[in-house]
Amino acid sequence: MRDPFTVLGVDEAADDAEIRRRYLALVRDFPPDRAPERFREYRAAYEALSDERKRLEMTLLGTNTIALSRLCTAALLAASPGSSRASKQAVAALLAEGIMRTVTDKRPPG
Amino acid sequence: MKKPNQRGPVSSASLGALAARAAEALKQQRFKEAVELFKPMIRQDPRPEWKQSLAEAYRGRARALAAKKMFKEAAMVVENTLGSDGTLADPVFYLHCLIRDGQHQKAAAHVRQYVGTESTLPAEERAILEDLAAALLVAVPLGPDPARAPSAEQARWLELAAASREALAAWVAGASAQEVERQLNRISLRSAFRPIRVLLKCLITMPQDADRSRQLLEAIPPGSPFFAFREAVAAAVLAERALDADGWHRLTPVQQAFVAQTRNLPGTAVQFLARSAEAARSGPSALFGFLFKQPDLPQAEVRSACLNLLPQMPDRLSQFEKHFGPLPDFERHRIQALAAEGRGDWAKAERFWRAAVAATSVDDGDDRQAKLSRGVILRHLAQLAAKHPEIEGDGDGFLDDPVISYLERSCQADPDYVAGVLELIGHYRADSRLKDWHRLVDEAVQRFPDNSALLLQATESAMARKAYKKAAGFAHRLLKIDPINSGVRRQMIELQVAHARKQMRAGRLELAAKELAAAAEWERPDVPSALLRIAQALVELRAGQDAQAQERLRAGVALAGSGVAGWFRAALEGELMKLTGSSAGLLRQELARERETPPTKEAVMAIVSALGQSDTGENKRAVASLLLGMRAWLLQAAVIDWLPAEFQALAEILARFDAFDVLAEYARTARRREPGNPIWRFHEIVARTRGNTTRLTMRETEELGRMVDAAVNREDFRAANRIERFLSGGGDAPLRRRRSAAALLDTLDDDDVPELFAAMLEGMPKGATDSVRGLVREFGRDGAVAHMVEQARATPGGPGMPDPVLRELCQAVVAMAMDGSQPRQTPTARRSRL
Repeated sequence: MRDPFTVLGVDEAADDAEIRRRYLALVRDFPPDRAPERFREYRAAYEALSDERKRLEMTLLGTNTIALSRLCTAALLAASPGSSRASKQAVAALLAEGIMRTVTDKRPPG
Repeated sequence: MKKPNQRGPVSSASLGALAARAAEALKQQRFKEAVELFKPMIRQDPRPEWKQSLAEAYRGRARALAAKKMFKEAAMVVENTLGSDGTLADPVFYLHCLIRDGQHQKAAAHVRQYVGTESTLPAEERAILEDLAAALLVAVPLGPDPARAPSAEQARWLELAAASREALAAWVAGASAQEVERQLNRISLRSAFRPIRVLLKCLITMPQDADRSRQLLEAIPPGSPFFAFREAVAAAVLAERALDADGWHRLTPVQQAFVAQTRNLPGTAVQFLARSAEAARSGPSALFGFLFKQPDLPQAEVRSACLNLLPQMPDRLSQFEKHFGPLPDFERHRIQALAAEGRGDWAKAERFWRAAVAATSVDDGDDRQAKLSRGVILRHLAQLAAKHPEIEGDGDGFLDDPVISYLERSCQADPDYVAGVLELIGHYRADSRLKDWHRLVDEAVQRFPDNSALLLQATESAMARKAYKKAAGFAHRLLKIDPINSGVRRQMIELQVAHARKQMRAGRLELAAKELAAAAEWERPDVPSALLRIAQALVELRAGQDAQAQERLRAGVALAGSGVAGWFRAALEGELMKLTGSSAGLLRQELARERETPPTKEAVMAIVSALGQSDTGENKRAVASLLLGMRAWLLQAAVIDWLPAEFQALAEILARFDAFDVLAEYARTARRREPGNPIWRFHEIVARTRGNTTRLTMRETEELGRMVDAAVNREDFRAANRIERFLSGGGDAPLRRRRSAAALLDTLDDDDVPELFAAMLEGMPKGATDSVRGLVREFGRDGAVAHMVEQARATPGGPGMPDPVLRELCQAVVAMAMDGSQPRQTPTARRSRL
């Protein structure tokens, strides 16, 4: 399982209420009927962090990547959503990737 | 394969032979050979069935090449099936090959023939083809001219493709939302190009309406060729909620480039994200080095990220401390402990964890967080000790179980953690430390009076101490909290029925009926108890209330599973109540009648479950006689394919009631069915020796020793414990503790042993010497030693001690008491001990 702090996007110092709030927000965005895999991941992360002792276990005995994740988030927050347009090449590459993914994810028919 | 001669005509006789060979090659999926054979045949005689077979051979050959990722070659082979109408036999597969080979232009040209035309393709293939066609016609820049399309429907497709491309181009070029919207209105929402309309709509309306955007995007399913685009657009438009670091790393580099451009991400941020991901992929050392060189990032976060990497490379600890300042002792020990665990050096891991616990005691004293940390680490040590014999624990006695001693310390550090207390209770029970079990349960139930799991434990503990009123009190409290707790209800019914049996055996029918009436109060109307029904019926039978009793008895038997299982339950209850005369006769008669039905797995397991109740052990002779009557029927069940867990339960019951001949047959049959599974051989040995280790041959002892080692190696500690328990004569000491003792004795030098004994003898209580002398006077020197060995084995440390060591210790005690001397120790004596 991936680092549950990173999966839920909460700090190691977050308390029970904050973790629950964040989990519910994520589940609202990715409910089990629409995004079952993501929901499973969020649920597992929530269960791993839902108790103070479990969180401590994670912090003391595991290797969490939350700090690195926070650094990346800080870099992403420098962005201003919607203010620009992508290049023609980026769009073309995205279309090509989608086409390729469709044929590689599916077995050839027959 | 030699190619057939293609120059001259082939005679009709050899043509027939060739046809047979070609058909055989096709059948055997030797497609290349089949193609080479069919080609000259068709040149000479173009029979339709041969042409069809050749096309089939081409398709097979193409699929074989595609399976080897030779898509270009596969596409070329499929092209051989081109018909006079310009279509291919397998258009979707051909399209796959072209796309996989990167020939998008050719793929678009190919797919154009199939869209907007009548097609014989199955609906699923047609849907795939249309989705791919839409994506290809948008992606490939040189679109065909709609005016030259052969049909109106095809022309419509080409128009929609052009509109989609133009809308995309307008957005890329920075056109206003209104302008892009105008372009989008040309794309039909019912066409295969709808995803382009949805994607661009989200991009031009962002970030005002995130919920609407999400709703729109969900219309593009994961199997669509536009799904990668959808993911990128979602990350670009749904702001922070969809794009945190985790979301960013989920994206592919192509998607990241799109998002970075659309969100106007600064170049430095893009570079950091790319390089940190690359460094993370290259391993902890590379990431550590990369993070170290980031002076512009928040240093507290950089420190935290680097600290997290240290357990994977503890040699960087000094570099870290030099850069960020010294770490507290607790952190340093924690890192070293995790690093030792990573290397599998369990002894060192234990040492560092203990140092970390000690450091937190010194540094933080009674701070709550420090207490919880100590509790977590000590529980972790207990878990490690259960798996790794290298972890010795820090108990006072060298035979103390480290799992238990660490759990005890963990509960002291964090006494409010109920799960930890329950775990320790479980270990006390499994280790037969009854006094500790009862003490801990009493303490815990006072501390947590409303915890249902603890109340259940308290009920069981009180029942084990035969404190029935106390047990009932706990059960009542538990049912107030958890009214449908079936476990405690069942236990209380069993307890009252056990009392009723005693009264029945003493001939006090009224008191037995009273006990059963009390038992009925624990029963839930929707969960009737078979045991209670049967017991009530038997009391009524004995009291002569035949009509009512018969009816109740049959109801109880039905609840107990009917057939042999149900009547066995009734007969067993009759034996436990010492029922005689016509009542007992009725039960035996019914059981005999039911035994004519062949056994099933469920029926046998129901019997095993009935025999597992506590009262059966106290009435072993009566139960064994009942079981003897079941022998022939039970033997028929030997052929059933038992699961190891079922077999284990069965074997324990058969051994408990001395049905070793039945067990032998079961083990033999299972071994014939599955000769490689050592567990059957183990039961075969148990049956042969009738559960008595003194009857073991040397070969069998060695065989069992090897089984223990193999079980430990595959971490099947349950099997290893079971065999060890048998080898040690049925004691309950778990494997871990014995391994610790044996390991410790192995580490002692020959010279250490007398010193160890002397130290233990000095600690003997006053008066012990007189007791030993008394024993020697009564039994003689050897008899006293034997007597003391037996007594020592019954002590908590006894089962963990190898027999020769116990004997040597007792000899030393006798020598000390009688001669005042220490035992002599020779190297050979020590070698032979283990």
